[in-house]
Amino acid sequence: MHGFGAIPIETDEPLFHEPWQGRVWAMQRAVAPTTDRFRSTIEQMPPAEYLSSGYYERWLWALERLAAEQGLLDSDERPRRGSRPSPSAPVWSGRFRPGQRVRVVNATTAAHTRVPRYLRLHEGVVERVAFAWPNPGESAATGRYGDLELVYTVAFTAADLFGADADHILTADLGEGDLEAA
Amino acid sequence: MRLTPEQRAEILERHLHDHGHVDHERIDDAVADATAGNGPSEALGARIVARAWVDPEFRTRLLDDAVGAVAEYQQQRVPLAVLQDTPTVHHVIVCTLCSCYPSGILGSPPTWYKSFEYRSRVVREPRAVLAEFGMDVEPGVELRVHDSTAEGRYLVLPLRPDGTDGWDVDRLAALVTRNSMIGTGRPLAP
Repeated sequence: MHGFGAIPIETDEPLFHEPWQGRVWAMQRAVAPTTDRFRSTIEQMPPAEYLSSGYYERWLWALERLAAEQGLLDSDERPRRGSRPSPSAPVWSGRFRPGQRVRVVNATTAAHTRVPRYLRLHEGVVERVAFAWPNPGESAATGRYGDLELVYTVAFTAADLFGADADHILTADLGEGDLEAA
Repeated sequence: MRLTPEQRAEILERHLHDHGHVDHERIDDAVADATAGNGPSEALGARIVARAWVDPEFRTRLLDDAVGAVAEYQQQRVPLAVLQDTPTVHHVIVCTLCSCYPSGILGSPPTWYKSFEYRSRVVREPRAVLAEFGMDVEPGVELRVHDSTAEGRYLVLPLRPDGTDGWDVDRLAALVTRNSMIGTGRPLAP
């Protein structure tokens, strides 16, 4: 999406602009089952409301829904949480190798994906096998972290994405299932 | 009548507290602690950058395996990688999908990092965006914008300022700004 204006750069910015924002921030870990489920819930916000809400208003909107769907507002029962992955270098080799040309799949799911729209169906070159992490779509859907998936850093020529005026390189981290050989 | 965010946050917290999922006092403490600057901050990132400038062995480990190299300062909860600037390559970090940021070593992201303006524009027209930060990138320098689309977090290792030969880590760290570790600024001049 474009058409936004100048970057709102603030000097000597406070950590929280209003006290309630800090309280919302502090409740996040108790309420969000996984980071992906939290992000995916924020993305359910009606688009016009999303664009007209501040950062912590979007958090608040998601926490209200996550708390309700887990029964936290009217029950003392603790939600069952799965274990969290830890960052470690992948020890297996995947379908793609550094230097290989790949195409981003057309990830048109109504559920959660971490493939930005501006990269869909575009071709890039694998720079490195970046790390392994549970698939975000699965973790968003189930509220549990699943099996590890390889994540690749892929480099795109910005001119391919945004037109000839763009002279930079754009890199992004994409899961193995988000890519196919080009 | 529409409730304000403040009222909604208060209602949410009261319900969660009443059922034992959060505790008012612990939230008080967490907010006070973070606001007092006791939480993670960019000071750690600056220290890591300064060390990488003076200690080639550490720099090599940092670029090769940032999670492992940073472990002596802090255990990472998510993958971390460091992108090294050179005289001909400059890196900039963004998260177009939300606000992914190396908070453990830089603290909470500034509002501009989380803004729609930065998120939508820096991937498309980074030179114009950097100019708004007062940064000119020469035409011959390759700009690489990294979109943190997955769980990995990124830190820019900026170029060491000229005129700092012989400086130690403490002195150098004072020159390392938060924005220079995101790629929207340069370290201070000595």
